[in-house]
Amino acid sequence: MSYEYIKIGSEEKAFIAKVEEISGQNVYSCYQCGKCSAGCAFSYKMDKTVNQFIHLIQLGQKERTLDANTHWICASCFTCTVRCPREIDVAALMEAVREISLRENPEKVRIADLPKESLEKLPNIALVSNFRKKTG
Amino acid sequence: MVQYSYFPGCNLKTNAKGFEKSALAVSKQLDAELVEMPNWNCCGTVHTLVSDNLMKRIAPTRILSRSSKHVEMLENSPKEVVTLCSMCNSTLKVVNKDIKNDESKLEPINFQLEFDEEEYKKDMEVKHFLEILRDSVGYEKIEKNVKKPLKGLKVFCYYGCMLLHPDEAKIDDEEMPAVLEDLSESLGAEIIFSPLFKYCCGSYHIVDQEDIVNTQVQKIIQSAKQSGANAVVVACPLCAYNLDAQQKLMEKQGQDKELLPIFYFTQLMAIAMGEPININHFEEHHINPKKLLKKLKLI
Repeated sequence: MSYEYIKIGSEEKAFIAKVEEISGQNVYSCYQCGKCSAGCAFSYKMDKTVNQFIHLIQLGQKERTLDANTHWICASCFTCTVRCPREIDVAALMEAVREISLRENPEKVRIADLPKESLEKLPNIALVSNFRKKTG
Repeated sequence: MVQYSYFPGCNLKTNAKGFEKSALAVSKQLDAELVEMPNWNCCGTVHTLVSDNLMKRIAPTRILSRSSKHVEMLENSPKEVVTLCSMCNSTLKVVNKDIKNDESKLEPINFQLEFDEEEYKKDMEVKHFLEILRDSVGYEKIEKNVKKPLKGLKVFCYYGCMLLHPDEAKIDDEEMPAVLEDLSESLGAEIIFSPLFKYCCGSYHIVDQEDIVNTQVQKIIQSAKQSGANAVVVACPLCAYNLDAQQKLMEKQGQDKELLPIFYFTQLMAIAMGEPININHFEEHHINPKKLLKKLKLI
């Protein structure tokens, strides 16, 4: 176990405020019970589990938050949102981080790089929702 | 006879044709006819969770406004727009509640809608067809219309996320839903319970992270099989596609030989209620459900 000194300065505070503004949630409502991570269907794919991810936001760690894959693995199924005992819309927090990332780099998925066959065979709802979530 | 303003959404016209056609046919039999609304547009499939972007709320609001006008032209129609796709269901419901509760959001959206000569007056409710079947038609009436009970069909009712989440959009209890089970039971099918009834299938990750969807589908199908199911019933065209296509892929890779056919709930209704088999468009499924139906002597 290692410890690290984290200073919550103006940059950190700005990041927290941005996430709260976009999501409309209070990130400090989270008391780290871990129910979101326990119920998440994708926890096994995430390098930071959902509650760890929220902890990073609470500490204003923008770079580490954006470097995690958590918000890109989240499929907005809202299981965490409906179960959160603090009534945080966790999925909205994920969306806020996606948005912050996409407002800087709008192409998480490059549509031009997708093979033509998959564009032809995939259902429209898959394509539309993917592009809504992964392009700015 | 009641007519409903029906919003199809894009997928019902492309790779879920059987879903739409079977639903239209059974809705007529049950005197709760679905009539397609004119001039509809894509709802956006996912509602935005962002508080500072109204743009993504315009398309659903336009649909609500147009449907409201459509209702006036129908017979005994309540102020409701009915969807079949569960993603449309949740998108429309969430946006509807959002703008009904917040005048400051509706006003600029209505200003935009002036270009389409539309104005939303907060007068519509959004309903999923399953809610209509449960609350307005009733299972008794469905049972009376069953000509061929689905004997031998052991269905696992897979809800996916968007029928039960988020709170604003849910059509039943989010942890213990019963609507698909009750419906299947009234058609004479046997219900198989699996704990993964709302375990996300991976949804839109199919476009760029297929491996996620593959793992999810494997878990869902394995659990259903262990519980003894021989078919899966769904309400979402994306769940249907993922479960169907990924199983076929697993078969090709030699991982799995025994595949569970995927049915939309309306297809089961159409079979039980004696509608012609071709309206189900089974040829578009990756796993052919006809094999199982023939084995059980249902067709």
